[in-house]
Amino acid sequence: MRLADARALVPDLLTTPGAPQADRRLLEAVAGWCDRYTPWVALDPLGGAVAEEGAEACSTGGFGGDAGLLLDVTGCAHLFGRDEEGERALLADLVQRLSRHDLACRAAMADTAGAAWALARFAERQADLFCPRHGQRTALAGLPVEGLRLDAAIVETMLKLGLRRIGDLYPLPRAPLARRFGDQPLTRLDQALGTVAEPIEPRRAVPAFRTRLAFVEPIGRPEDIAAATSRLLAALCRQFEQAGVGARRLEIALYRVDGSVDRTAIGTSRPNRDNPRLMKLFEEKLGELDPGFGVELMILAAPEVEAFDGTQDVLPEAGAASGTAVLSADIEGMVDLADRLALRLGAENVVRLLPRDSHLPERVQTAGGAARPAAAGAWRRVADLKGARPTRLLQRPEPVEVTAIVPDDPPSVFRWRQHAHRIVRADGPERIADEWWRPRTDGSRPPANTVPLFRDYYRVEDDDGGRFWLFRDGPYALASSGRPAARWFLHGFCA
Amino acid sequence: MPVISPNAFAPPAASRAANDAAAPVAPALRELDLREKVRRLERAHSAQRAGRQAVALGVPAIDALLPEGGLLTGALHEVEAGPAPSGRVAAHDGAALGFAAHLLGRLGTLRPGGTLLWCRRPSGAFDAPPYAPALSAWFDPARLLMVTVRRDEDLFWAMEEGLRGTGIAAVLGETRAADPVAGRRLSLAAEKSGVAALLLRGQPAPAQAVCTTRWRIASAPTRSTSSASFGLNDVGTPRWRVELRRNRFGLPSVAETPSWLLEWNDEAHCLSVVPQALHGSTRESDVRSCGARLVGEGGRHRRLA
Repeated sequence: MRLADARALVPDLLTTPGAPQADRRLLEAVAGWCDRYTPWVALDPLGGAVAEEGAEACSTGGFGGDAGLLLDVTGCAHLFGRDEEGERALLADLVQRLSRHDLACRAAMADTAGAAWALARFAERQADLFCPRHGQRTALAGLPVEGLRLDAAIVETMLKLGLRRIGDLYPLPRAPLARRFGDQPLTRLDQALGTVAEPIEPRRAVPAFRTRLAFVEPIGRPEDIAAATSRLLAALCRQFEQAGVGARRLEIALYRVDGSVDRTAIGTSRPNRDNPRLMKLFEEKLGELDPGFGVELMILAAPEVEAFDGTQDVLPEAGAASGTAVLSADIEGMVDLADRLALRLGAENVVRLLPRDSHLPERVQTAGGAARPAAAGAWRRVADLKGARPTRLLQRPEPVEVTAIVPDDPPSVFRWRQHAHRIVRADGPERIADEWWRPRTDGSRPPANTVPLFRDYYRVEDDDGGRFWLFRDGPYALASSGRPAARWFLHGFCA
Repeated sequence: MPVISPNAFAPPAASRAANDAAAPVAPALRELDLREKVRRLERAHSAQRAGRQAVALGVPAIDALLPEGGLLTGALHEVEAGPAPSGRVAAHDGAALGFAAHLLGRLGTLRPGGTLLWCRRPSGAFDAPPYAPALSAWFDPARLLMVTVRRDEDLFWAMEEGLRGTGIAAVLGETRAADPVAGRRLSLAAEKSGVAALLLRGQPAPAQAVCTTRWRIASAPTRSTSSASFGLNDVGTPRWRVELRRNRFGLPSVAETPSWLLEWNDEAHCLSVVPQALHGSTRESDVRSCGARLVGEGGRHRRLA
């Protein structure tokens, strides 16, 4: 129905412009809030798909009044009571809490997502909203065919043919039905009845390990939150122990009384299930959490875990580096420190230097994880060249202007950053050829049958005692040869 | 540097007596006496530091001046790049980095296998990070834990965390910021843990009052091992002009700022003092400081013997 038609029918109709983005944000917030019941929460895929098509389509579905959330509460209802009682209690709790936030909602529970979807929208009696185990066939029979999540065109045809209820489809032979309407009605029917599985894609990754703590009275003091975290952590560490894993990442979520959720996470560089140590990492982060008007529920989850056999393996590389036994406490301390630093500065900013097999100076040194230092002898191979190498290497070689008396000689003067340096001593050249087996930095491969490019490195000393590492990019070329003149670069500073 | 007057803490009567007693003594002797007293007071001030250790630099002339015969662990040390001999401020600190790496390597021997924490703040696209193949002359780069930060506060925080942590042999921070509060905190944290902290400054920086030693390093011209028949002579082993600009708890030196010309020997893995006369420095200040140094050292050697 168009707005003009509606106004003609009801002249004093109240209208507000639609805001699908705001609707979506609200739905996301509610979905985040629903994490309190189960980690497996999805936005209703049908509603989402319709909303993407634009405002026109919203009149038939989408995020207006038809938007929905799908919650997979398998294995979660026992927290509210035994078997069916628990499931009913969970459903009632959900509706009651949501209505406390002034959200009008209808929630239904069934064995399948399809059945729950249909019941939530089309069930006529309040009692029908809860569908007992394996009862979806009878529960759905009386509902209109719109409840099968079908395209509007199919629904229209079905209505014309007199197929008004889902139950009308049960006795029909399947083959003619498929020929008439395509796959969709059969698939949707099978999904709703549970003969075909319908996977729900959760909004957030579902952690394998998770503990929750609900409070009778909302808490808000930092000490209380810390105490609750430590209790959750203790419970989670017991789970880890039974499963033989350690956490690489832990996430804590505070569910506040106003329905919003605040989260923070910690990471460790090695699998860990040491309660006090993890708690220490959390202590740094808990200050960032805002309890708002009070916290009614806390959930601690481990989205990333790794197998961990319980004995802290001593890093053999670090031990062998000095040729003496290294106290494992030292290594523990180092890993702890790296974790704490990474927590504040980011894991990519706390690294070990690793050697790499390469001739190019800028490729020799690379970064690796803080808990995995290079092997003891790894740097010894490159150490043979240490005298000829600079103590600082420019990340990007900087072009310099040079003056050389003899073209192939080291320069006699070079100008870098507006300063002329007169060279009094020089070592070199050390020729380092391009690695032809590797694509260049710009992605191109050097053309076949050409002399690979090379750099001639010189270690030079200026009249001020400063020592520099210069290179000439490629062979010297006369201006008449047609090749571009070789350029000079400054690449590092020597001790 | 906080100057503590010996009289400030002494009871009035004693101080008067001390003054009376000191009156007839020659001024030079009295000054030495006072210096000794100040030194004692300063040491008493830090006497609670148990098990103070020092690690020798491997240069007897320098180690003799330093407290406990070397670089104190559990203290803050500062290494700054000095101006070149011509007085121009060098645009890079390759030499200061080499000296700092030498200190780091020496400190690392106290705790074999301990981690060396290196904190730095990259300077954008023109950044020149330390290069591990060269550092391996002084220590195994596998022991380094490199930390890059975006702000100076984070750098000081990371250093402090490192000093508090276990399994850390030494902590180095590369920064141009001179924050007295942060310096004081670092110094206290170092005292508490017994781990040495180094501040490496790429440019001459305002002095930090709290450091135990401050070094100023400038690279110096080397001596070519052979002279080429044509073209340029080759570059010799690295030479540094090292000034000890502050030496808390250490022995007083006759020269205002003791200064040495050091040479790093790559084969022998040691630093050695280059005899100045052989070096043939023509600069007036060099000659003057060298003369003062020789006098000072003569006295020291006699005492040690």
